[in-house]
Parts: sequence; C-alpha cells; structure tokens
Amino acid sequence: MKVKFTLNGRLVELDVDPRETLINTLRLRLRVKSVKRGCERGECGACTVLVNGNPVTSCILLTIQVNGAEITTVEGLVKDVLFERLAKNFIDSGAVQCGFCTPGVILTAYAGIKQGKIRGSEDVKEYVSNLCRCTGYVKIIEAIAKTVREVLSSEH
Amino acid sequence: MSTEFKFIGKKTPRKDAEAKVTGALKYTYDLEIPGMLIGRIVRSPYAFADIRRIDVSEAMRMGAVVITPSDIPQKPYNPRLVSISEVTFKDTYILTYKPRYLGEPIAAVAASSEELAQKASESIKIEFERVYKPILDPLEAMKPESPRIHEKIMKGDKWIEVNNNIAARLDYDEGDVDRGFEEADVVIERTFKTGKRYHMQLEPKAVLVIPEPSGKLTIYTTTQTIHNTRILISQLFDIPESRINVVRVPIGGSFGSSIQTNYLVPIAVALALKAKKPVKIAYTREEDMLDHSNFVFHFKIKIGARRNGVFTAAEFTNILDVGAHQVQPYPLLGTSLGWFVSMYKWKNIRYRGIAVYTNKVPGCALRGYGAPEVQWAVETLVDEIAEKLGIDPVDLRLNNYVGRGEIFWGQGPTVRSVIRSDGVPELLLKGREIIRWNERGNPREKKGRFRRGIGVGRGFHTSGAGGPISGEVIDYTGCILKLNEDGTLDYITALQDHGGGTLDAHVKIIAEELGIPPELVNIATASTETTPYDVCTHASRGTYVGGECARRAAQIVKQRILEVALRIIDRAVNPEALRISYDEGLKQAIVYVEGTDIKLTLAEIARISWQRNWGTIGAFVSYRATSAPPSFTVYYVEVEVDTWTGIVRPVRVVAGADVGTPINPDMVEGQLHGGFAMAWGMAFTENTVYDPVTGEIMGRGLITDYKIPTAADVPIPEEFTIIIAKTYEPTGPFGAKGLGEAAMNPAVAAILNAVYNAIGIRFYELPVTPDKVIEALEERGELEW
Repeated sequence: MKVKFTLNGRLVELDVDPRETLINTLRLRLRVKSVKRGCERGECGACTVLVNGNPVTSCILLTIQVNGAEITTVEGLVKDVLFERLAKNFIDSGAVQCGFCTPGVILTAYAGIKQGKIRGSEDVKEYVSNLCRCTGYVKIIEAIAKTVREVLSSEH
Repeated sequence: MSTEFKFIGKKTPRKDAEAKVTGALKYTYDLEIPGMLIGRIVRSPYAFADIRRIDVSEAMRMGAVVITPSDIPQKPYNPRLVSISEVTFKDTYILTYKPRYLGEPIAAVAASSEELAQKASESIKIEFERVYKPILDPLEAMKPESPRIHEKIMKGDKWIEVNNNIAARLDYDEGDVDRGFEEADVVIERTFKTGKRYHMQLEPKAVLVIPEPSGKLTIYTTTQTIHNTRILISQLFDIPESRINVVRVPIGGSFGSSIQTNYLVPIAVALALKAKKPVKIAYTREEDMLDHSNFVFHFKIKIGARRNGVFTAAEFTNILDVGAHQVQPYPLLGTSLGWFVSMYKWKNIRYRGIAVYTNKVPGCALRGYGAPEVQWAVETLVDEIAEKLGIDPVDLRLNNYVGRGEIFWGQGPTVRSVIRSDGVPELLLKGREIIRWNERGNPREKKGRFRRGIGVGRGFHTSGAGGPISGEVIDYTGCILKLNEDGTLDYITALQDHGGGTLDAHVKIIAEELGIPPELVNIATASTETTPYDVCTHASRGTYVGGECARRAAQIVKQRILEVALRIIDRAVNPEALRISYDEGLKQAIVYVEGTDIKLTLAEIARISWQRNWGTIGAFVSYRATSAPPSFTVYYVEVEVDTWTGIVRPVRVVAGADVGTPINPDMVEGQLHGGFAMAWGMAFTENTVYDPVTGEIMGRGLITDYKIPTAADVPIPEEFTIIIAKTYEPTGPFGAKGLGEAAMNPAVAAILNAVYNAIGIRFYELPVTPDKVIEALEERGELEW
C-alpha cells in the first residue's frame, strides 16, 4: 500500500505491506536507529515517536495508519531549543545511564512540556510512563522538572 | 578528602551522553552488515521432553540455513566462566534433543530476512518421544522418586552423576552452634522465599557474528565480558582464541543478565560457520525472558541472641532453585553464605547450601548475586529480635555488625580480606536523624485506611572478588594507556560499562593522577585482540578493580613523562626534581621544577618526544586486587500502606552509601535511585510465575504481565535524600570502592520493615502483592472500611 508522511520535516513516500509496523518502517527502511525496539507490545516506550506532536509507541502502530501525519524522532529535533534544553539537563543531571530508553523518554517529555501537560515533578510521574531500569527515574524527573522551570521563566 | 582533588568528586558530563540523548549511539541490535542473514531459534514447546526426530526439509526447501543438535559439538558447557575449571559444572548444550525447560533451543535457522527466517523456523517439525511432567518445585525435585532432570554432568573435566536433582552443594561449620542456641535467651526461626525475577534490562539480547575473509570470526554482542565470551566460543568450537575477536559494544543495561555468554551467541556462531556468512540474531522480549532470570531462594534461618543483644548462633539453610541448567550456582552457594556471615557477628555458624535443578528458565546472577535476598531475610530477623529484646533496631545493628578490622568474605569462603574503611555508624546515625526515626510510632497504635511506617535496612556489597591469595574465583583485569603525539591519551580496556559510568570513572582517575583534564583522555574502542584479559564487569568491581588498574597505568605513564621531561630540560638532576600538576589557565598538565621558571606542558613533551624519535610513552598493566572491600549501604524508608487496596506507596527515602571516595557523585546518586527502584519491584511486583501443569511462564513472557516500577512508583527528587559517608578505602583508586549492587541490597529489607511498622505484619514470601497484604489484614480480622 502507498503511504505518505513527513519524517523530521522531510516528505517520505513508500509502498508498504499493510501489516508493517511503524517501528520496522523507521528502523529497517529509513534507518532511523534512535527508535529502539524494547518489547513490541507498546509497553516499554523505547520506540516512542511523535505523531503530529503526540508521543506514540511505534511498535504497535501500523505504518499505513500514519498516512499524512508528521512523524518526529530525536534526529529531527537536534536544533530545536526545547530539545536542546532537555538534552542538556538530562546530561547535567546524570539522567542518562545505559541510554537505551533515553530518546523515547526525551520525546515523551518534549510533548508533555510543549502541550503544557508537564508543569512540575508530580506531572512527570503521571505523564512519562516510559520504562527505565537504570536510573530509578529520580534524575529523569529532576531533569524534566528543571527544563519546565527554565521554559516557564523564559516565557515571562 | 575530596577538596584536594582536581577532578574526582566533581560532576562531569559522561563522554557518551551526547550520543545517547541524540539516539546516535549504536547498540548490538542497531548493527548491520551487507549480506548478513537473520537467525531465529526454534524452541521447545515442552518443559521436559525427549525428542525423537527433527524434520527440517521444508525449511531447507525455503533456502534457509538450518542447524539441529546433530550439527553442533555435543559437549556440555557452563555459559559463565568465573570459577576455576575444577569447580565449574557443565550441563548445557548449544542445541539439545532433551529440552529441560519450556523455550530451550532445539534448532535454529538463518535466512536473508527476518520474515523468511521466521517462516522457516515455523516449518520445522519436531517429533517427541516422550513428554514428562515438569518439576517446578525444588523440594519436590529432591525427592528420590522424582525423575532426574540431568543424569550426568561434568565437573571440570570429569563426568559426575546427578542424584536427587542436586546440582551442587556447599556446607560450612564454625564453632558450636547447638551450644550457642542453648546459651541464647531468644531464638527465632523463619523461612523465606523470593520471586523468580527477570532482569528487564531495556535492551533485549542480540549478536552479530561475521566470518572474516581471513578466516577469523568477529563477534559483536550484548555482553558484560568480551574475553570470557571469546574463551567460551574458542572452547566450544575448538577455534584458537587468536582466530576470534569479540568487540565491546555499548549495552542497554544488564544487571547480571549478560554475566554469562547468552545462549544466542554460540547458536549464531554455529549458523555463521555453516552459512559462511554473517548472521545476526536478536531476541524478542519474550525470548529474552526465556534466556535469563534470577535464581529462586528458599531460606530457613535461625538466630539466637542473649538478652543484652549479643548474638550467640546462626543456622542457615539455603535451597537454591537453579532452573534447568547451571549458570554458576555453585559460587552463589558460597556468596550467599558470605553475605550472611559478613552481616553480623553470629559467633557460631552452620550452613547447608543445596542447589537444585527444576524445569524452569536457568537462573543467573541478578544485581547482588544473592545479597538482596540474604540481606532482606537477615534484616527482617534482626528487626524481630530487636523488638523481642526491647532494643532499638538501629542500636542492635550498630553493636553487632561486621566492621573495620574484621574479616569480610562476601564472595565466599575462599575470598577473604580485612575491612579497612567503614562508614556504617555515620550512615546509620545520620539517617536515623533525617528520617525522624524516633517518631515512627508503634504499628499497634496505627489506625485508619492509610497507615505510614518507617523501616531500616543495612547491608553492603563487595568490590570485586580479589584477595591476597588465589581462591576458586577468577578476578583480574588489565589495560593499556598511551600518550599520543599531541599530549592526549588513549585508554584501552576490555571492561564494559553497563550504563553506570564506569569508564568515565576510570578517565577521571587517570586525569587526576596525571593532572590533565578528562576531555584529553579518549576511551578507545576495544576488542579481545587489542586488550589484556578482564574477567567481567560484575561484583561491583568496575571502579575499584578497573579504576585502580587505570591509576597504576597512569602512574607508570607519569613516571615516563617525567623521564622524558628530564631529558628535554637537561638541567634537572633526576625525575624526582620534577613536578607534574594541572594548570587551570592552560587547561592541561605542566611539568616544572619548583622555585624556577622551568615549565613544559604535556603537549610540548609529547610533541618533542615524537619529533626527536624517542618513542611512545605508554603502559600495559595486568592487575589483580589483593582485597575485596565491602561498600556499606543503609536505607531508611517511609511507606504508606493503603489498607483498602493493599497497595504500598513510598513516601520518603534516605539512602546512605559508603563508597569510599565518590569518583562521579551524580552516578553514585543514580545507582542509589536505580537500586531503590529495583528493590521496590522485588518487594512488591516482580516474579515470573510458572503454570504448574505446562511449566510455561504465565503471561508468555510478555512484559505487560511483568511489572517493573515506573516513574509513578518512586518518590519525587525532593523526598529522596542521599548521604555519602566520609570514608577512604586505602586499597582503592584515590580511596574509592564499588557501589552498583550495594546500592540495592538492603533496600528491600528497609521497605518491608517499614510496611511492618505501618501495619504490624511481616511477610516472608516475595513479592508482597496487594492480595497478600489484604489477605493478611483480613486474617488478623481488623480490616477497617
């Protein structure tokens, strides 16, 4: 089936099997390796991408379902101010350990902040359901909450 | 101490952080090479069976490369190399005609795409001769009438008979236990059972094997030890080690799950050798759960104490459910004992350790290697004894723990050393104040739906398995450090970083020794053919053992730098007249003569040495630590129990760690946060439950049914206090010790002691799921609605 979407701002046109999942399209066809395969059940969040700005686990989404959508991965955010802030705070706070969950966590946090759903530590606990086995989440919460404070203070 | 350091103890960004946040870092599963085949494994649908015939004709017709047990060297192996050969038990086959757990590899295929490989694997027909009823309970397995899961296995190079499904034993006696109990005023005996936990590292296991044109094999895989992987493949396939190169690849967490060579590695090697093409295998999450999970511990512990709070005797029976194959349960019988005796001065000790086969996924190490389990049990009992004797539980611990000047043998009877640094009093006393211990109240007086309680747990982990004499455990490391022509350095080590920042710690140690900024030290890519042997990143030895090796290499390099500088300066009398230190303004090391204006930067020295053909300054060090010091940890936890739902929530945590000098303080904190979360999962949710009839993991290995903590389950940063003890370990690099496992070990005990303080109920079987809490409250007949 023919499918058309934008990936990190560039138009992509593909002919895919209707059963193909978005993670496989991204990893195997388009070589986007930041999207990690952790469970293929929509549970761990390592394969999170933004679909029209919303965090979605790409392992349980069919590629044909994103026809016409805007897909964003961390590769597409390298020059984005909010992403840069998040990345810096993740590094400075020590929120990065093995790194396997990191791109997915950052994308979820990015969407949560952009949409005004994350305004403090307690919101992070509610909104970011990605699994991480190394950090115990404390520094992740710290890094995201710090970013929110920076964003809010720069808006004033 | 830390004030005198230039880099150690200061927060510095880790070198791989940028690549990790941008998703650019490549893990094994991200690797691909033109022409590679994808491998899939055919697994046993039965937990215990004999195979008559395997029909692979359809898969061959599809063009797949197929291997069955007939294509594989039929020699038994143990996937983890850590004990010396004489005490290594071998019972595993790469592929088998007699599967002993549901999911055991029987055959494998490789094809040009994952889809084709999957289709080919599904086309393989297995005819079973006999299917047995699985034996899932070790106590059942030990009965003489139970069928034997293994009949003959190898111990070292000798075949031995297996009786009553007992895989290995270890007994130990010290003093007169019976008399000790007679002298006691209080004796408590309890039985404990843990869950069969799964590591749930974020990256499922993967491997890529490349047969090179030269005839060599290159292997990329998720491993904690590239050298042991090479040795094992060499032994299994009779290929000289010099013809195999295992490359260190970043790993997405491990926690012990790749302390052994994962089963897919030899399978991929066999496929690649047959296909003469590169082969990649990557587990699905469900397969990963069939590859590794923890041992199940069945403890019976009896402790005696006098009225004055002095222990008189301890008896410890440890029945270890090892699953279908041995991934080194024998040393675990030793460490379980070691953790036990190194907790408190029991005076008289009797230990019976029995490792038993069952038809479950083979058990392997999981962060702590028995310590979280032993420390949970011991710290529960110590709390109970304190209550019986009317002594403050913190004081009882302070008066009886094994501390400075005493012998520590966490890694078992053959790995002993003297404790030289000890932050226990500082951590126990400071933590007691911060958590407001004296306000914790009496569980019998707590009422209402939500009840809060405070608990304490004290423990430790070893830093490596070194010691003054060579025991049954192999532990040494090695590294290369060389000065480049521009004054930067390449640091080359086989040691793996699982994500905890181990190699960044090494870099800071080198930087400190030489007086150069960490940015100038490169962590070089590494493989078995370019590095000296390192046993494994395990036993919390990365910083303590690997870090000291790096420091020694830097020390040698420093000496050579001074010799070359002497030659350049030409006026100084000998190298001792020269000093090396970090120059804040120049952002690099300078060599100078005190009281003169003679001054050379390291970059100048390196350049001149190169231009004048004086050769490379470098060091090659192979190092064994002569000690394995304990890193002590203390947890104080406040929880809130919802007596309507049985759900427990953490309110506050005070985590204290005695790591000697903290090299990377933010990573120390990260280990404690992560350790607490893992302990929370162990306490309340984590267990792989087996269907009693089929022996299949219920939920089929889907993580939708294996709940690990999420961000919603941990305290917010403001409620998580960390204390780092002011200690200095004289045998460690700049005073440092390990932490990875100590960060978790006593936390489960603290959590469940807090539950007791909230509702007055103790639980002896993990995980303490909400239904168990509700049931216990109902049994006591005081559920309040």
